[in-house]
Amino acid sequence: MSDAAGERTNRLRGHALSILSVGVILIAWEAAARAKLVPDLFLPSVSAVLIALRDGIADGSLPLDLGVSLYRAFAGLLLASFVGVAAGIAMARSTLIRWFLDPFVGLAFPAPKIAFLPIFILWFGIDHLSKIMLVAFSSVFPIIIATYSAAISVNPLLIWSSLSLGSSRPMIMWRVILPACYPRIFAAFRVAVPVALITAFTAEMVAGGGGMGATLMYAQRFFDSPTVFAYIVTMLAVGLAFDKAMLALRDRFPSWRESS
Amino acid sequence: MLRSIAGATMRLLPIAIVLAIWQAAASLRLVDTAFLPAPAGVARALGDLLSGHEIRDNLLVTLFRALAGLVLATVSGVWFGIGMARSWVFNAIVSPLVGATYSLPKTAIVPLLILWFGIGSTMGILAVYLTCLLPIIVQTYHGVRATPAVVIWSAQSMGAGPRKMLWQVFLPHALPDIFTGLRIALGFALVVAISAEMIASTSGIGRLIFMYGESGAYDYMFAAVASVVIAAFLIDRALLRLSARCLRWHESQAVADIGAAV
Repeated sequence: MSDAAGERTNRLRGHALSILSVGVILIAWEAAARAKLVPDLFLPSVSAVLIALRDGIADGSLPLDLGVSLYRAFAGLLLASFVGVAAGIAMARSTLIRWFLDPFVGLAFPAPKIAFLPIFILWFGIDHLSKIMLVAFSSVFPIIIATYSAAISVNPLLIWSSLSLGSSRPMIMWRVILPACYPRIFAAFRVAVPVALITAFTAEMVAGGGGMGATLMYAQRFFDSPTVFAYIVTMLAVGLAFDKAMLALRDRFPSWRESS
Repeated sequence: MLRSIAGATMRLLPIAIVLAIWQAAASLRLVDTAFLPAPAGVARALGDLLSGHEIRDNLLVTLFRALAGLVLATVSGVWFGIGMARSWVFNAIVSPLVGATYSLPKTAIVPLLILWFGIGSTMGILAVYLTCLLPIIVQTYHGVRATPAVVIWSAQSMGAGPRKMLWQVFLPHALPDIFTGLRIALGFALVVAISAEMIASTSGIGRLIFMYGESGAYDYMFAAVASVVIAAFLIDRALLRLSARCLRWHESQAVADIGAAV
């Protein structure tokens, strides 16, 4: 019992130290900026960043930019999840499809997808569609691979049993194979969500056309450092919030948790 | 030998089929070659680029930035990870920073780095370094933390000092996880290096692709993108080979060998 108590004090001490470390960094940053140790241009004070953040939220530009970026990221992700799950299961169920898709997946999986941005702009224009398609292209491969490897390792006994009990093929797909893939698909989503966000932001930074990335670049070009920092802080908070939300979702649906 | 050649042909056949259909569609004017240049044209452009300096120099600059950042991140990330796993004080100080920046879309720091360091290789390498650092820290941390207590106690009872514990117990145990982190980081490294060049640069393959796109030389643009895809594929394969060689002793290797055969 004293061991558990000791563990708890240690954890509390750890939390206190963590808060202290963040606090020290923020205070040192504010102090360095206030004392003009570094020019404002390079490091605006924490308070200036907070003011830029408040102004951005107050005049609606920051929520609007965030909305545009999130729309692109999640539209692409939705597309990628439909295509990715379908392709992954098809590859697991049919040797022909596996043979056909395997070299493309193998070649495209390690490729830096952002290099395709100019091609996507050429095909789908400069606005939403090219970014949505690039997001889908970036996040589809982890989903394909995860779904495939989950669907290929579904216990054949389960399939045989439900066949012998008279299940139709579509029923096996929806009731046996797909549920067996949920944990790995969910794990792939934890990879794909940050990929979708980074791709949407980066595409906006490169190609413009509104959104978080475009405004961030715009602010940098006009040396508006507080806004640059405010937007980076927002992106950080969004990334963190989505990761936390996904962990909460996984706890809510225990069948999504990988048993291994 | 003959069988492996036949196997490779079988594996690459789908790509050949798609290229043939694409070429036929372009030759029959079913698709507008302004939007989708024919593979023959792209291949010609690729041959042209490979014989010249342009693509080679720019691709090498990009790969240099990506790999330099990756190596620096690996060297320092492993130490951070070990430090975090072995000292709760260090962990408490560093982990909020790691946790907060882990999910930051890393290209967001590129404008900041341009502000601080200007445009060029320093900025590119730093952006790659900061991006790659996090997966390596996190994977090393997990690998070291997962060292079974029995192994640690046995080594200690046999008189292993801290240095020996580090090199012969913690590092080898974390090695498979470090390689996992390295593979994640490699993907990030190329993306960030190319993104940084597309955002602002005077050299590198990212800038070259965009330049071809803006000047309407689409066959060259496709050729440059193809060279990036091939280079990324080869580097990823080389890393897999390296990790298979370094982890020959590890039980996960038996599984990985089967995985590679699929």
